[in-house]
Amino acid sequence: MVDLLQLVFAGLSQGAVYALVAIGFVAIFTVSGVINLAQGEFAALGGLVAISAVGSGLPLLAAVVVAVATVAVVAVLMERLTIAPVKRMTTLVSLILTLGVSTGLKALMLLVYGPDAEGLTPINPGGFTVGGVSIRYQELWILAVAAVVSAAVYWFYERTLAGKALRACAEQPVAARLVGISLGRASLTAFLIAGCVGAIAGVMASPIYFTSWESGLTLGLKGFVAATLGGLVSVRGAVLGGLLLGVLENLTAGYVSTGLRDAVAFLLLIVVLVARPSGVFGRSAEARV
Amino acid sequence: MSLEVRGLAAGYGRLEVLHGVDLTAGDGRLVAVIGANGAGKTTLLRALSGLIPASGGTVTLAGADVTGSGPERLARAGLAHVPENRLVFPSLTVEDNLVLGAYTRRRGPAAERREARDRALALFPRLQPRLQQVAGTMSGGEQQMLAIARGLMAQPTVLVLDEPSVGLAPRLVGEIFTALGKLRDDGLTLVAVEQNARAAFAVADHVYVMDRGAVVLEGDAATLASDPRVTAAFLGGGLSGDTPDGPPTPGTAEAGQR
Ligand SMILES: Nc1ncnc2c1ncn2[C@@H]1O[C@H](COP(=O)(O)OP(=O)(O)O)[C@@H](O)[C@H]1O
Ligand SMILES: [Mg+2]
Repeated sequence: MVDLLQLVFAGLSQGAVYALVAIGFVAIFTVSGVINLAQGEFAALGGLVAISAVGSGLPLLAAVVVAVATVAVVAVLMERLTIAPVKRMTTLVSLILTLGVSTGLKALMLLVYGPDAEGLTPINPGGFTVGGVSIRYQELWILAVAAVVSAAVYWFYERTLAGKALRACAEQPVAARLVGISLGRASLTAFLIAGCVGAIAGVMASPIYFTSWESGLTLGLKGFVAATLGGLVSVRGAVLGGLLLGVLENLTAGYVSTGLRDAVAFLLLIVVLVARPSGVFGRSAEARV
Repeated sequence: MSLEVRGLAAGYGRLEVLHGVDLTAGDGRLVAVIGANGAGKTTLLRALSGLIPASGGTVTLAGADVTGSGPERLARAGLAHVPENRLVFPSLTVEDNLVLGAYTRRRGPAAERREARDRALALFPRLQPRLQQVAGTMSGGEQQMLAIARGLMAQPTVLVLDEPSVGLAPRLVGEIFTALGKLRDDGLTLVAVEQNARAAFAVADHVYVMDRGAVVLEGDAATLASDPRVTAAFLGGGLSGDTPDGPPTPGTAEAGQR
């Protein structure tokens, strides 16, 4: 029983990181139909920039701000330089372009930060034990930050004019243009959101899971699977998908074999693609966020 | 003149569909454009509102040359386009659809937006009780009303509509054209593309007839309504295939749909 609780708790906090990465996939996919294969690199870059900023003497909070801002700029540049110039975006073209950016970012991170994995200083080191379940403070921080960020993103799409405009572009691009919304600006905003949530995911994950130039591969894959569980078009679905994936991974690692941990994501992906392409938590293929 | 189109040519890729269309819509006038399926009516409106680029000719809106502007700029310049098939934002509420209709006015005074909303809801009272309903769950007629109301939220000087009556029950067609007539009486300039020639003639001031990407006939609605070429092709003769199978009943706002 304690084992189960321990695994579920660890799974939730890990899943919260996937959820944040997944929100980035959803933000971009709904508006432009682009599956951003560099989403994981946004997270890795966020972690690495924060680590090096702390290393150069910045306080943790300032380092986090620098990291999020850096990744936001990278995401915006990526959109302007690779996505915006393409007149007719197809899924294939978008995959090639974003894979290219992902590879480029990885090479750049390897060059700048070296090959070693490092962990960011945790906000509060250590942890405590309740009823046999050991909890690290950082895990609570991850859960809290993920909850606040998801709620903020959700509020943005549901309540603000800019958020509703993004949903309009996702659902009915022609009508969105006719009411005066610029699809180019919408795509840029989506990348900005994806950059910010990606960086936050990377920064929050780093103290526990460590960060290196290649962490983006796993994080990106897990985030993508989480987003797919929600049909790639729903913030709520992405969050639930991330949590589910995190819990299932930890249960598999605990009860079956640690070696199978990473296979869970692939299995889920196959099951979803075969059984419910619109996502387990998605209601239909219709675009919504 | 609110809207002046001179020699407008446009198409898709290398395919030219519009071959030099002239069209004028004066202040407070309702202009109808009729023509068979495939005549180029939708293409004309797309070129007008910048959804597709013009390959020749000019478009003047309220005295300003807007040729080559994209739809975002034209929306700001005062042209509202109610597109073919309505294209409401399906998962957004009716209220949010209206809010987005005023997107170009988002930095303007809130009182103006409220007034525009009140006017739109007064014109289509059916929308009032559905403000919190998700737009995609409404009937076709209600969605059409919403699409027009959304266009009006931008407080345009010219409203262009692409087949507002298509697929609607005759009673609703009447309701929508009555609303268009009211808007005209309030001084708005309207261009309505229609396959339903009867509905169009019943309310329009001026009618253009399009065929294969060009205007082939134009004139005062009352005059054209008795033109034998029009009556033959659109008001009951049966040449164009757009006419109802039943006996013609000219002047009523019904049928004319396939
Ligand atoms: N997106 C498009 N791409 C290529 N050709 C098109 C497109 N839309 C319409 N057309 C062609 O343009 C012509 C005019 O179509 P359209 O403007 O839709 O006519 P209408 O609205 O009068 O029925 C038709 O021959 C049609 O096949
Ligand atoms: Mg048409």
